[in-house]
Amino acid sequence: MAASSRSRITKSSTAEYFAKNLQQVGFSSPTKAVLTTLKESIDNSLDACEEAGVLPEIYLKIERRGKGSLKNTERIYIQVRDNGPGIKPEDLSKVFGEYLASSKFGRGRCSRGQQGIGISAATTWAQQTTATGAKVISKTKSMRKAVSVNIEIDLKNNMGRMKSKKSIDWKYQQGTQVEFLIDGRIQLNGEAGILNFIRGNILLNPHMRLVYQLLDQDEKVIERVSDDVPKVPGAVMPHPHTMKLGEFITHGSLYGREKVRNWLKKGFSRLSDPAIKGIFSEAKLPKSKMDMSLAKVDEKFMKDLYAGIQDYTLKPPATNSVVAVGEEALSKSIRRLGEIDFISVQTRKPTICDFKPVQIEVAIARLKGSSSDSDGSAQVLRFANRVPLQFDKASCAIVKSIQKVNWRTYSLRQSKGSIPNGPYIIAVSVVSPFIKFKNASKETIDAAEELVEEIRRGLMQAGKKLSKHLKREIKARDLKDKIEHIQQFAPILVESLCGITKASAATRKKATDGLYKILDKDSEKAKVQLDEAALKLEKHLSSQLEKMPSVFENALELQQEDDEENLSSGSKKKTAKEIVAELTDMSQFDDDDEEDVKPKKSKKKTAKKTNKKTKKKAKKVAKKATKKKTTKKIAKKKTKKTAKKVAKKKKGKK
Amino acid sequence: MATRSASKGNSKTSKEVIRFSKEICEKMLKDLERARRPMLQATKCSLDNSIYNPSKGFLVPGDKKVKTELNVSSVKKMSRAIFMLEIMLHNLESGAVKTKRELYYIAKGELKQNKKLKPLAFEDENESNAIISFICEMMECYREDFNCIANDRGGQTYSQQLIVVETLPDGKKATVDLSKLGSLPYMPQNRPQNLKLKTKGKIDFGLIVESEGTAKTLVLNGMTKRNKCIVIGSQGVPSNGVRGWVKTIQDQLKIPLYFFGDLDAYTLQNIYRTLKAGSASSLIRNADYCAPDVKFLGVLPEDVERLDLADYPVKETDVSEVRALKKARDAIKNDPFFQNKKNKKLRDILKWLLKEKRRCEQQSFSMVAPRDPIMPEKIILEKIKKRQYI
Repeated sequence: MAASSRSRITKSSTAEYFAKNLQQVGFSSPTKAVLTTLKESIDNSLDACEEAGVLPEIYLKIERRGKGSLKNTERIYIQVRDNGPGIKPEDLSKVFGEYLASSKFGRGRCSRGQQGIGISAATTWAQQTTATGAKVISKTKSMRKAVSVNIEIDLKNNMGRMKSKKSIDWKYQQGTQVEFLIDGRIQLNGEAGILNFIRGNILLNPHMRLVYQLLDQDEKVIERVSDDVPKVPGAVMPHPHTMKLGEFITHGSLYGREKVRNWLKKGFSRLSDPAIKGIFSEAKLPKSKMDMSLAKVDEKFMKDLYAGIQDYTLKPPATNSVVAVGEEALSKSIRRLGEIDFISVQTRKPTICDFKPVQIEVAIARLKGSSSDSDGSAQVLRFANRVPLQFDKASCAIVKSIQKVNWRTYSLRQSKGSIPNGPYIIAVSVVSPFIKFKNASKETIDAAEELVEEIRRGLMQAGKKLSKHLKREIKARDLKDKIEHIQQFAPILVESLCGITKASAATRKKATDGLYKILDKDSEKAKVQLDEAALKLEKHLSSQLEKMPSVFENALELQQEDDEENLSSGSKKKTAKEIVAELTDMSQFDDDDEEDVKPKKSKKKTAKKTNKKTKKKAKKVAKKATKKKTTKKIAKKKTKKTAKKVAKKKKGKK
Repeated sequence: MATRSASKGNSKTSKEVIRFSKEICEKMLKDLERARRPMLQATKCSLDNSIYNPSKGFLVPGDKKVKTELNVSSVKKMSRAIFMLEIMLHNLESGAVKTKRELYYIAKGELKQNKKLKPLAFEDENESNAIISFICEMMECYREDFNCIANDRGGQTYSQQLIVVETLPDGKKATVDLSKLGSLPYMPQNRPQNLKLKTKGKIDFGLIVESEGTAKTLVLNGMTKRNKCIVIGSQGVPSNGVRGWVKTIQDQLKIPLYFFGDLDAYTLQNIYRTLKAGSASSLIRNADYCAPDVKFLGVLPEDVERLDLADYPVKETDVSEVRALKKARDAIKNDPFFQNKKNKKLRDILKWLLKEKRRCEQQSFSMVAPRDPIMPEKIILEKIKKRQYI
């Protein structure tokens, strides 16, 4: 290597590297800087609460504090407070001031944070733009007073430095509050806006109570809709097929003097005793080395062992390491985003994509009050390990999957190969302990073929549910139109016929009466069909209700009220006009104001169940009776036959 | 059920049309009075209900009927049909003559005056035309019987011997001597059945030419002066007027008639077949609107070879030509006219066209002797003389 005498090889710390390349971790523009700082703070808070089994209460405040030092920026103040377990004073500098110091790195868990970069990067950004670092207040349950401290990063040594550390009285029992003063720009609306980020967090964290105050706006409170803290499954050991040779050898060195067999069993998933024996025999490795200490085996053996494992067919990785929000929680949570009149939620079973356990959840919601013909594209909310993704949408696996689905088959409008149109929210959540992001700032999920296909399937299932509902709606509308259609044209027909034949007034009246009789029959028929369609819709709604009560309870309630009204009006025969009037009333149930009413157990349902049971019993009895009859008949026939035979024999004898 | 016995599709007098219309409406009213669903019945005018009658020489309707009973899906069509029938009867009774487009606007005007009728509004003329056709199919009469005429198209006729006597709506008679028209053609009327034909001496033949331009040049070059004949330009697919006119000539003059057109699937199937045997969509009109005696003079495949005519391949990129070939393939399989053994030679031409995928135009006769302006006439006369036709 020709190195000039002047140039020197220097070594820089991780912190220095990231400080120079903050764009790689989400600080590529002033707008992104604000959002990333916010995101990292909230992710840390939610992860901390979930780990401690605490129902998160997050407080968020964003303020403008004058002009920024960078061109076209403002000084932004961000405060995030949680009710988590708090951070021990000795760990504060590591958490906020040291890169790659994480409790989650490489643990194979579905936590939001993974590497320990994000929040340290936010501190760096604050330090670089406003020379302030992060101001942290933290208190654990065991502490009498909270610790308040300013943390800055010693970039040369990748270490956090605490300044102005003091004990303070804090009104909260436990928790952490972090404040940043940074240069940035605030974008509230749009896909990359702060509001969209908040909406995403609200959707995927039904157990979170959020209080937020943005700029000069009033404080807003989003109450939690679930009291269950998601249980994040324990870490999974890495699957040997997902490892590279170097990683494999390093992994071994971590286990010191452990026996090879024990290391393989403890350090990896899917390597059981029989599997290990199989690998050794297939790769023709000396069995004696199986019980040898890792410190004693040479590199050649490790290489052969690695090759043997790669050639051996192992079970795919376990899927129990993923954590999903769940259909019920999602459907409750999505209502916090706005008035929604239908939602279709699909949680796929955990599966393996590219040898990594993955679980997909899809929610498609139709916003109430908007016309289904509205031209705008559906809103897409993307999530990776319950963190909203807001940038680089086009190359994301989720968007690619949405574009791959033919939404027209599900009664949605769509230009070929694009996101469907209409007042819909399509939310897709990908959960995996090993999500493959396109970059360190975790903005886009890599569009690997298997993952795209898995998401597409989830979308199609949710689309099917939505389509069923839309088709039912269309059918009910068609039938209503039919009745109106008859009402419109029939009188004209009689009028024209009478005009041609110059019929008398009496004939005209008779013909009109006759026509209305025919039409009433048609109307009745259409009404029956409409009732059937309404019943189907009701059944569908009630089946959905079992899964997601809050969304449908109102619609069903109103439907039941209508039924009751119908019953109370008695068995009076209705005219076509009355039916039309009723139908228009019925169609309004979508537009009525919603109230928080607990779902009642439908009387109809129980009545139906009992009816079914009695019918079944009656059928059984009837069957038995017919059996008895037939056996009696057969017996009678037999006796007749034998009697005849005997008589014949007697005759013969005579 | 409001219906009438299947007639042979002959023209009806105004009185017959009015009487029958009223009968249908009275029947419908009676059904309504008894709370029965009135039903309208019309002959199904489609290829699957077409039968080629070799003795008659044209397509006749089969037994299939289109029944329309009053219900949700038919109430609009039925209301529209009776509304339009009322307008057409009023026209007939007042002696007015209207085109289909004018009827469309009359309907629009009626709807404007009476807001109760608004639901009947026609989106465009096609909708009202379909209703007019339905009424005619139901009554088994011609649109012209309701004084509804089509725009005159084609049928420009040239002759030095032919005299036409036309009975006018007021009963007066007008006589037109075609030899007195100079180079101008005579245009046949929409109801050629009302025309009486006379001749000044014997007429040897009638020639129907696909291209009106070619017909005109034949005449301008003196064909009708040199020969005792009638030359008619069909101007593409023959209109009802042309079909009825040729039928009138055939029936009244009983002269040999020849059709001269391009050698391609479209001409053979859409133009010649319609002229000779009528069409599936006008099954009820075919009896009076086709001339089964017309022979196909050419261009024939053998002419292309014999006269070394310039032909060219069917362009695979030309949608209309490809569609014509596809239709020809369907015609061989499904068209009763081409399937009949009487028309085997015509079927063979279709097969030849499908196989060779070539076409030849009628104007190509001009290339045989480029300097001789009357060469096409000479070839035509020679072909007639040598009976080179089908």
